[in-house]
Amino acid sequence: MIFSLTATLGTSIGIGTITVGDILWFAGIIVVGVIIAKVVALNVRRALTERLPKSERELLAKVVYYIIILWAIAVALPYLNFDLSGLLVAGGIVGLVIGFASQSVVSNLVSGLFLMFERPIKIGDNINVADITGSVEDIKVLSTIVKTYDGIYTRIPNEKVFTSNITNYVNNAARRFEYKIRIRYRDDADEAIRLAKEVIAAHPLALKNPAPMIYVDSLGDNGINLIARIWAPARNWWEVRTVLLWKIVKRLEENGIIVPYPQRTLWLADAERTPGSDAGAGKVEE
Amino acid sequence: MFGQYTSTFRYESGDFLVEAERIDGLLTYRRKCEGRAFERILAVSEAARVTVNPVEPVNLPKDITDLLQIEFTPIVLEPGAAQTVYLKFPVEIGVFLASEKGIDILDIFGAGAQKYTLYGPPAGGAIARWCRSGVYPRVPPVERFREGVMELSILNTSSEWAHVSCAVFNGVDMKIFYNDDIAAATATMKIINPTIAETGFIDIPLVPGMTRSVELYRARKIRVISRGYLMEWGLS
Repeated sequence: MIFSLTATLGTSIGIGTITVGDILWFAGIIVVGVIIAKVVALNVRRALTERLPKSERELLAKVVYYIIILWAIAVALPYLNFDLSGLLVAGGIVGLVIGFASQSVVSNLVSGLFLMFERPIKIGDNINVADITGSVEDIKVLSTIVKTYDGIYTRIPNEKVFTSNITNYVNNAARRFEYKIRIRYRDDADEAIRLAKEVIAAHPLALKNPAPMIYVDSLGDNGINLIARIWAPARNWWEVRTVLLWKIVKRLEENGIIVPYPQRTLWLADAERTPGSDAGAGKVEE
Repeated sequence: MFGQYTSTFRYESGDFLVEAERIDGLLTYRRKCEGRAFERILAVSEAARVTVNPVEPVNLPKDITDLLQIEFTPIVLEPGAAQTVYLKFPVEIGVFLASEKGIDILDIFGAGAQKYTLYGPPAGGAIARWCRSGVYPRVPPVERFREGVMELSILNTSSEWAHVSCAVFNGVDMKIFYNDDIAAATATMKIINPTIAETGFIDIPLVPGMTRSVELYRARKIRVISRGYLMEWGLS
């Protein structure tokens, strides 16, 4: 008995006109599809290792894996005489319905992928996006989670994040903040500047460079207005800002430089002129 | 104060108090430094050791950067010139607990004021711990627990004159050694062009016989590949 490969492959298996060869083609395509899917999914995982959290990385890898498997099945099914045209018509209608329904989902997904690659924000960054200010807790495929400074969990769809103006407060290493300090006209502004510089220099997180800048900004109605501009590490600027102002005010007061109240001197037409006093504890504007 | 202790110990000098003593059977670690106090009860085996040694000076008052910038009197180097100078750097003292099961950080403290700076522009630069030092031709006298000595070998490999008045180091690379007199590190600075230089540390003691410090990154179990630091925002 002589073995004939062609004859064997052409042998019907008894279901319609399907032959052994068709079965082998089907199996071969599925096997190749599975191998391709595994390789691609593995590479997706590797490529996104540092860009996505594990849960979302796995989800994306699985989506890619099953899309390739479905593609392989769609290619292989005709070998089993399975007519996909009927499915295509039904699938087209279903696809249209799903397409309309999932429009925003897809939009968020694509925006999320762009956000992950462009990386305007990272987990832990302090941001303002779509009028929401807080720290980024998580960047998911469909949404970004922001914890506002008063501890509120906020979910922002990625499409909104991607199309909004994003302010990232900590993207740069350092940032500047500003105080306005008012002193009396009778006080020595140079001395006030020197004292304020001493206080700023003593704070470890008020940066040495760029150097802090303090100057007389304007001659106001109620006193001389000084401006202090201070640089601090972007991630620590708030703690510097919240302590330095009061330290400066205390140092000025210890040295007889008083921050004056807003005041107004009234001159009455018939009254004898009396010397006004501009002394008083005061107000600091920021 | 620097060294390894297997049971109770006490060191007191000036502003410093570091001790481990048994109170009601509990081993208690205490530290005071310039008015700041720290205390922990230690639940450790008999074999546990307490190690006190200088560590990379980039942790106080907060661990916000790995970089250390030392500013010094400007040095002008002609093309191809090499010069070895000695600088001072701030000392931070690390207290480690070590047993057969591993090592952990117990405390970090240091005397004197700390200051940070920005090396480079706000958009691309980096925050660095800042300190100022004189430039010395030989090992300068130092206050042992406040200042360390860094031997810095500067080599101008460029074909232009170089003006250097600061050096920025990656503190994670720092290899600190100590003996009864000083804490010291040996560093290099290779000037590539008048605005770019490469800095790094050499794993050798300044003086033979010095003991190598336990590094913080080792206690933190951080894998570090010594890569040095590329100063790309200028040398002054």
